[in-house]
Amino acid sequence: MDNFRSKFIEEATEHIEDLEGTLLLLEQDPENKELVEKVFRIMHSLKGGGAMFGFERISEFTHNLENIYDLVRNGEMFVSKDLLDVTLASVDHLKNLLDDRKSELPQTLETHQNLLTKIDAILESKNAIAIAKDITKEKEKSATTSGTASKTTTYYILFQPNENIFDNGTNPLYLIDELYNLGQAICIPHFNRLPDFDELNPTHCYTYWEVILSTAQPFNAISDVFIFVEDECHIDIHKLSDYNLLENNEFYSFIQQAIQSRTDIGFDNLQTLASRINAAIMVKEKKTDERLAVSKENTISSIRVSSEKLDVLMNLVSELVTTQARLSLFAEQSSNNELVAIAENVQKLTRQLRDIAFSIVLIPIENLMTRFQRLVRDLSQELKKEVQFIAEGTDTELDKTIIENLTDPLLHILRNSLDHGIEDPVTRVKRGKPRQGTILLKAFYSGANVHIQISDDGAGIDTEKIRQKAISKGLISPDAVLSQKELLELIFVPGFSTASNVTEVSGRGVGMDVVRRKIADIRGEVEVESKLGVGTTTTIKLPLTLSIIDGLLVKIYDTFYIIPLSSVDKIYAAEHNKVVGTFNQLIVLDGQQIPFFYLRHEFELEDNNAPLEQVIVVRYEDKRIGLVVDSVIGEYQAVLKPLGKYYKNQEIISGATILGDGTIALVIDTNKAIKYFARKYKVEEVK
Amino acid sequence: MSDNKQHKINSYLTFKLGEETFAANVSKVLNILEMTKVTKVPKAPPYMKGVINLRGAVLPLVDTRIKFEMSPTEFTPNTCILVLDININGESVHVGALVDSVQEVIELDDSQIMPPPSIGTKYKSEFLEGVAKVGEEFVMILDMDLIFSTDELSLLKESVSEEQQEQQNA
Amino acid sequence: MAKTILIVDDSESIREVVSFTLENEGYKVLVAVDGKDALKFLDGTEIDLVITDLHMPVMDGIELIKHIRSMEKYQRIPILFLTTESQAAKKMEAKEAGATGWIIKPFVPAKLIAAINKVIR
Repeated sequence: MDNFRSKFIEEATEHIEDLEGTLLLLEQDPENKELVEKVFRIMHSLKGGGAMFGFERISEFTHNLENIYDLVRNGEMFVSKDLLDVTLASVDHLKNLLDDRKSELPQTLETHQNLLTKIDAILESKNAIAIAKDITKEKEKSATTSGTASKTTTYYILFQPNENIFDNGTNPLYLIDELYNLGQAICIPHFNRLPDFDELNPTHCYTYWEVILSTAQPFNAISDVFIFVEDECHIDIHKLSDYNLLENNEFYSFIQQAIQSRTDIGFDNLQTLASRINAAIMVKEKKTDERLAVSKENTISSIRVSSEKLDVLMNLVSELVTTQARLSLFAEQSSNNELVAIAENVQKLTRQLRDIAFSIVLIPIENLMTRFQRLVRDLSQELKKEVQFIAEGTDTELDKTIIENLTDPLLHILRNSLDHGIEDPVTRVKRGKPRQGTILLKAFYSGANVHIQISDDGAGIDTEKIRQKAISKGLISPDAVLSQKELLELIFVPGFSTASNVTEVSGRGVGMDVVRRKIADIRGEVEVESKLGVGTTTTIKLPLTLSIIDGLLVKIYDTFYIIPLSSVDKIYAAEHNKVVGTFNQLIVLDGQQIPFFYLRHEFELEDNNAPLEQVIVVRYEDKRIGLVVDSVIGEYQAVLKPLGKYYKNQEIISGATILGDGTIALVIDTNKAIKYFARKYKVEEVK
Repeated sequence: MSDNKQHKINSYLTFKLGEETFAANVSKVLNILEMTKVTKVPKAPPYMKGVINLRGAVLPLVDTRIKFEMSPTEFTPNTCILVLDININGESVHVGALVDSVQEVIELDDSQIMPPPSIGTKYKSEFLEGVAKVGEEFVMILDMDLIFSTDELSLLKESVSEEQQEQQNA
Repeated sequence: MAKTILIVDDSESIREVVSFTLENEGYKVLVAVDGKDALKFLDGTEIDLVITDLHMPVMDGIELIKHIRSMEKYQRIPILFLTTESQAAKKMEAKEAGATGWIIKPFVPAKLIAAINKVIR
C-alpha cells in the first residue's frame, strides 16, 4: 500500500505543478474553456486520489474547488479575480498537505480553515456578471505575462477649441481630464498657433491637443466628453488599435519622442505605426494559442520516469563508454581484423546510445518558468508595481542537476529586479518609461557554454552609491579609482548590500555573494552590467558539462590531457623554435598571427626536446588561441569524472577521465585556462 | 571534539610519517593501497600530489607529510596510500593520504587515551583527538576529518621555531 | 475651500434635489427662485458655477445668462442650464447667450454630477 501512496504523491505533485501553470494562463485568458476543463480535471483527480490513499484533507479541500470549476465549465459561474487568488493560494496549500512534515503544522491547519471559508464564500456568491467586468478592468491595470487580447481600444483624438471658447465658461483642461478618466491616456499640447506677443489676446485659447487614449469604454463615452463644445471646437476621434498600444514599448517611445520634438503627430503617422504593431501583437497571440495546443500534445506523448532510474541509466552509459574504449584499444592492439570491425560497431552503437541518454537527462529550462511567472505575479502585486515577465529561449536544455542548482540564484536575481530594479508606476511615468516594467529572461548557447540572462528596464545600479558603501565598509580607500566594471563587481562581496532598507523580499541573508558561490559550484560564472536609469542585466554562463564529452587526447610530458573537441578549431604542427624562446607569444599560422601558450612552461615543466610541437588552436570568446602540446593522440570519447572537493579551486582542469588502460587523463577547461594564463601575462606586463 | 567516541569503536590504525607515529580511527579508513601511478594536476596546492585511479573512480591524493609541514614524501616500498572517508560540511568525501609506512591495528581503551598535552607536542591540539602510550612510544591520535578538511592552516603551533622544524625534517 | 454653486429654479423640488446632491458632494449651495433673485448673489460673492432653469417668472434663464456674461466678474464662469430634450431651439438660444453646457430634465443625481464635472473641479 505504501508503494501506491508514493505513486500518488508523485502523481499529485505533477498535477499540482500543472495546476499552477494552468492557473497563470487562465488569469490571462479567463474565458478559455480548455483551461477551465483542465483545472476541473485536476481537482477531480486530486479529490478522488486523496480519498483513496489516505490524504483525506486533500480530498476534503478539493471537493468544493471541484464544484466551483464544474459550475464554471457549465457557464454558471465566471472566473473572478477572487477565485483565481484563492485557487493559487490553494496550490501552495496543497503542496503542504502532501508533505507529511508540513501537513500537521498549526499554520497549515489555519490556512486550511481560511481557504475553506473563502472557497465556501465564493461558492455561495454566484454574482457572475459584474465579476467578469472586474477581470477586464484589473487586466488593464496590472498585466503580468505577455498578454492575450483584452477589450481595450486605443484611440487618437484631435481636440482643437475655437479661440473664444473661454467666453462661455468652458475650461478645455477639464475635458482632457475627463478623457483621462476613461482609461489610460497621453496628451500632447500644441502651442504653435500662438500669435506674436502684440497680437496675443489673453482671453483667447490658442492651444490645441492631441490625445492618445486607451479605454475599455465604448466610443460614445469619448464623444460624450465633448458634448457641450461640439459647436465650438474641431474634434476628431479615430480608432488606432484593438489593443492597448500605450502598453507597447515601441509605440510609447514613439509618442515620447514626438513630445520631445514638439511636433504634431497626426493620425496618419500613428496609423501606420499602429497597424504594424497590431500585426505583431496578433502574431504573438497566435503563438500563445499554439503553445497551449502544443503543451496539450506534449502531455500525451510523454511518460514519467523516476530520476533514480535516470541516474542508473547515465551511470551504465558511462561505464559502457569506458569499457568500449578498452575494447577498441584491445582490438587495435590485437590486429585481428574481425575484432576491429566488431569494436568499431560497438563504438557506433555506444555513441548513439549516449546521445539518446543525454537527450533524456537534459531538460529545457522551460520547466522553471512557472515558478518565475508566479514569483513575478505575486511579488509585483505585493510591491504594487506593474511588471511583465518575458522568457526567450526556454527550449535551451540543461542537465537536471544544474537546473536544480540554478533555481535559487535565478529566483534571487528576479527578486532583486522586482524589489530594487523596477520602479513603481508613477516614478516610471515621470521618467518617461512605460508604466509597466519588463523583466526579460533569455537563454541561449554560445560556444561551449549556456548563457542565461535576466534584464530589467528598471532603475539600474547606482555605482556611486556602491562606491560610497564600499568606502564606508572599508573595502576600498576613498581615493581609489575603480572602473564601472570593478565597482559592479563589488556587489559580489559577502555582506554587501546597497539597498537602503534591506527588504524582507530580497534581503534574507542571501546576497549576490551566495549567488556567485552557488553558480561557481556548478562551474559557472555570473556578471552584472547596468546603466543608471536604464536597467540592469545579470548574465550567468554555464559550461556544458555533459558527463561524456568528445575530446582530443593529447600528451604533455608524461601526462595525458583532453581538450574538448567543441572548442578545437584546428591543429597545426610547428617547429620547436617558433614556440620556445620567441620574442612574443605569437605564431603565424595560415597567414594569421595567433597568440599561443606553451603548456609545458605554463605547467612549470621543462622544454620539450623535440624538433616539432603540436599547436591546438582553440576558440576563446571571439578569438583564436593556440595551446602547444607534445603530441596529439587522437579523438577520444571521455567519460568525465569530477576531481572532487580537494580540487575545487582548480582553474585549469575541469575533470578527469580514465583511459582504456587505466591511466588518468586530465580534461582542460580551455576558457578558464586561457583566462588564467592571460592574467599572469597581464600582471607581468604591468610590472 | 570528534564524533568517533560515539561509535565506541576503539580500533585504530597506526602509521608513520618520518620518525613519528600517528593513529587514525579505523572508521575513517576505507582501504590501504600500495603506491600506484599518480597523475599530477598542474597549478594545485603543494600538498595535493595528484589523482589516482581507484577502480574507475578518480581519487585525489594528499601528501600527508607536506600537510604536516615536513619534507615531501620520498617513495619507498613501504609507502602506502590510506583511502579515507572524510566528513566535510556533512558530506562524505573520499581522499587518499600518502604515508611513509603502515604499522598495525591496535585496540585502545578509553582509559588509555589521554588529552593532548599543551606542551611537549608541536602540533596544535585541536587537530589531535588525544595521545596514547603504545609500548614505548607515544602515539598521536589524529582528528582526520579536521586535518583533511582544512585548507591552508598550519598544523604546527606558532611557537615552534624554524630550527626545531629543520631538525624534525632531517 | 469648498466651491460655491448657485442654483436658480422656480420649482422647489428641483431646488431641493440639486441642493441635496451638491451638498453631498461637498459643494456650498446658494438657491434663488428666479433670475432677479439670483442677481442678489451676483454682487461680488465668489461663485464657481451657476445652474439655472430656462423658464422662470420675472427674469427667465436666457436673460439671466446674458446678464451674467455682461458682468466683468462673472464674465467667464461656467453656466449650466436645465432643459428638456424637446427644446432644441431654446438650447441654441441659451448657448448663444453664453451658456457653457446643459443638463437634460428629468435627471438623476449621477447625471447632474457628470455634467458638473465637465465644467468645474
